[in-house]
Amino acid sequence: MAEFELKLPVQKNHVFEACHHVVKALRASDNNLDANLRKLLSDLESHLSTFGMVDTEVEDTGFSKIKDRFEEAEKTILGWEQNQSMILDAGLSEADQFFQALYEVQTVLVGFKALPIKANQKEKDVYNQATVALDIAMLRLEKELCDVLYQHKQHVNLEYLAVSSRGKDIAYNDESFVSLDDEVVVEASSHEDDDEEILGFQNADLVDPLVVPHVKAIANAMFACDYGQAFCRAFNNVRREDLEEYMFFTLEMERFSFVDILQMEWENLNGKMRKWTKVLKIITRIYLPSEKQLCEEILGEFDSVSTSCFVEISKESILSLLNFGETVAMRPSQPEMLERFLSMYEVTSEILLDVDNLFPDETGSFLRMAFHELSKKLADRTIATFLKFKDAIASNESTRAFPGGGIHHLTRYVMNYLKLLPEYTDALNSLLENLEVEDSITEITGQDTLPSTFSPMAKHLRSIVSTLESSLDRKAQLYADESLKFIFLMNNFHYMVQKVKGSELRHLFGDEWIRKHIARYQRNVTNYERSTWSSVLSLIKDSNDSVATLRERCRLFGLAFDDVYKNQTRWSVPDPELRDDLHISTSVKVVQSYRGFLGRNEGRIGEKHIRYTCEDIENLLLDLFECLPSPRSLRSSRRR
Amino acid sequence: MRPAQDNQGSFLGRISIRRNQFVDVNNEQEQEDLELFQRHIADRFTELLSHPPQQPPSDEANTVSPVATTEQIMSVTWLRKLMDVFLCCEAEFKAILLMGRDPTQISKPPFDRLVPEMLDRSIKALDICTAVVNGIDSVRHYQRLAEIAVAALEQRPLGDGNVRRARRALANLVVALSLEDKENTSGGGGGGGGGNKTTERSWSFGRRSGGSSAASKGGATIGQLKSSSWAVGRNWSAAKQIHAMTANLNPPRGNEAAGLPQPMFIMSTVMVFVMWVLTAAVPCQERSGLANHLPVPPKHLSWAQSLIGIHEKIGDEWKKKEKKGSAGLMEEMTRMEKLGHSLIEFADAFHYPAEKDASESAAAQVAEMAEICRRMEEELVPLQQQIREVFHRIVRSRAEILEVLEQAGKLSAPVV
Repeated sequence: MAEFELKLPVQKNHVFEACHHVVKALRASDNNLDANLRKLLSDLESHLSTFGMVDTEVEDTGFSKIKDRFEEAEKTILGWEQNQSMILDAGLSEADQFFQALYEVQTVLVGFKALPIKANQKEKDVYNQATVALDIAMLRLEKELCDVLYQHKQHVNLEYLAVSSRGKDIAYNDESFVSLDDEVVVEASSHEDDDEEILGFQNADLVDPLVVPHVKAIANAMFACDYGQAFCRAFNNVRREDLEEYMFFTLEMERFSFVDILQMEWENLNGKMRKWTKVLKIITRIYLPSEKQLCEEILGEFDSVSTSCFVEISKESILSLLNFGETVAMRPSQPEMLERFLSMYEVTSEILLDVDNLFPDETGSFLRMAFHELSKKLADRTIATFLKFKDAIASNESTRAFPGGGIHHLTRYVMNYLKLLPEYTDALNSLLENLEVEDSITEITGQDTLPSTFSPMAKHLRSIVSTLESSLDRKAQLYADESLKFIFLMNNFHYMVQKVKGSELRHLFGDEWIRKHIARYQRNVTNYERSTWSSVLSLIKDSNDSVATLRERCRLFGLAFDDVYKNQTRWSVPDPELRDDLHISTSVKVVQSYRGFLGRNEGRIGEKHIRYTCEDIENLLLDLFECLPSPRSLRSSRRR
Repeated sequence: MRPAQDNQGSFLGRISIRRNQFVDVNNEQEQEDLELFQRHIADRFTELLSHPPQQPPSDEANTVSPVATTEQIMSVTWLRKLMDVFLCCEAEFKAILLMGRDPTQISKPPFDRLVPEMLDRSIKALDICTAVVNGIDSVRHYQRLAEIAVAALEQRPLGDGNVRRARRALANLVVALSLEDKENTSGGGGGGGGGNKTTERSWSFGRRSGGSSAASKGGATIGQLKSSSWAVGRNWSAAKQIHAMTANLNPPRGNEAAGLPQPMFIMSTVMVFVMWVLTAAVPCQERSGLANHLPVPPKHLSWAQSLIGIHEKIGDEWKKKEKKGSAGLMEEMTRMEKLGHSLIEFADAFHYPAEKDASESAAAQVAEMAEICRRMEEELVPLQQQIREVFHRIVRSRAEILEVLEQAGKLSAPVV
């Protein structure tokens, strides 16, 4: 392929011709030439004549040669004007021929412009024809450029980049904080399956590398002929459309007005925010560096042109991404937006370096700055939302006791929410660094302590959970039944511990926190047992009562047990292990006491006065905390 | 502790009593502020209206006014001034609205209605800002076309090829300048096709729909692509947005006319007006009926006189242009279009070698075109920046007002 260069190896003929013209022009310009100069000129003339070039005859042949060659070139160019197929497809030699023709035309123009004075009509005509031929050739190249770029474009087509918000939007549907009190919250689907990280940031080829030299040749030719602006316009248009197509169709990004975004339903917006985060990452980390590389490959030789083209190509799409971020940051912060804000903040802070590299100089500085501003805004917004999240927990009040003493949806919501946060550890730590908070455990340092346990994020998370605990304590006060209060607290604290232990949160909350909280729910177990069973079991304590009293105590025990059974089978301990443990420890206590009581007194009381066997009690105890809809009818068969 | 608390209570009580007593004094101060605000608005717009040395209306012939003042109404310099005026008015207004004011005051009727309405208007203004910034990019594209024409026509000796090149750029330029919709600006190369307005697009669409299989891969149709090139969402209309901004924009009556509702009305009017001017000045998405969408404030209001004057001028111009189609009323664009037509005529009549007279008059026009390009080069980007500044200011003010309202909400919340 012909490399078209500005520094044309000017042909001999031309030089001679030019010199000849210069001499003639100088002579003609002034009759009173200085003697020295006159001498110089005639020397030069004689030198030139030794090459046999100066006489008019030769001049004519020189010109006619040029004219012939020009006409040949013109024919080539006009041929391609009619031919709509790509020059590229015609093969190397054809392309070469075209660029060669262009070079001939350019030679005529440059030559003529160097010596326009006293050109004869024939020469002038050739010049004029050459301007037309050049323009035709340039227009043809512009079309060639668009066709080549268009037909050989390649998209970033990597599977792991697939963007989809399917299913993700649903996960949050019923998590709206506002309606928490009435709805059962489906556990938040975790974030992990969401986006596979964008592996590596290697640049992609946005245009087939095989055609890049051809495009470069077009650029060189058009810039050499002073059609650089036309090249840039065409190049930018195709590349910009390509970027827009990629962003708005392949990645399915949408454009919204401010009004749209500010009025958008949260569930809907949530999906858009996810998509934005992902698109922003792909565009700034893969697409734009690739685009920049393409611009540099093709236009790198023309100083700032490649930069300004790159800015021109990417500006509109980038601004539209920025606008979305800005608008979202204008929405009043709702606690449920925390995770989205976190991920938006995280991505903007992560890509700042990439953006700085993309737009290192003045031309794109406004874009660079806009990204930094956006990142700052999102940081503020995220902190505000974080605090709001805590406020919302603090101010979450119930008017009625939570039925069954199970796991309150606030606990579920908060813990599942917190579980999502370790993914944003770096972002959160930097955001919360300067925000004072009261910690629930004392800071200790030592070999056994992970540094993460006393990171700003860890302190804040513990503080959020403390807020949750206070709220739960208030909710617990609403129970009329003391025992149920303990079950409620036990359930919720156990749930919290499980969530922490079973996730990345354990490194943040730390062993001490976990120990303390295990102790806390175990205390609730003890408290429960005491408050429910102490009085019941006191009925069958050892004593030297009369038969009648023994019978009465046995009867009362049966009634008390019925009562507990009726109530507590409706209570809920959702965790099967915890429930088993509770069954076992209750069983050990109750059955043992009962067995002892019967063992000692069965004979005296008489079988017909004994309502439950030990086996009955053991079996019935298994029904407790099963959250039965209505009390199971107790077998009265034994009551004869 | 007890006595201290009591003291505090009565102390606060005393303050609130004192505040009530001082209400009249405050009112007087406020009245003064309001009057000053109105006077400033009037002054600023009077300056905007009167600044250009009045130009004789140029007749329909191709005479291009030789001296075009830079500060003519709707010139890019004037638009920049307008942005400054807006920023000043806004700053002053915000001071009146928020400074030293009891937050609960602006959350009580009638402000519980007026403030949200105003905030709503300001969000709509943000969309306009985005669309206009985008529109200015289009103007930059026109500028590039004009520059190509200028560069080609400055060639000496001027050959048929140079003229051919210039004519092509000019044809694209005048078509772009007379098209209402923004779509013409984003597509097409600087050189495609001749003077016919569809050539450029159809050529590039041809590529899309036919030819390459890559084109259809994304399933992108022309219509989709067109809408994707809009800065604001699909179906968005600048004219409708302006219209929506004027909803509920009524001069305060009765008691309200003397108080805070008055400057709120003024500021809203100024905002809608400025957005309307910008929309008319540069290409903008969907503007039919734009001239009808601005309710003129009552003529008796002293601050409104000049604003009404400017509005009438621009409105007349818009109606004239709307009939034949126009990308915008920016003075430079108008002149560019005129010069473009006249240079196309020159190009059509051109025979190599150039005749002296014709090429001299053309040279003057080329020089004027070059001058317009230079001014655009100097001022369009700063204008864009100013509009972004307006944008950010609106965002900030909105946040500040919301913050005050939130405070007010806390203050007025029933204490349990």
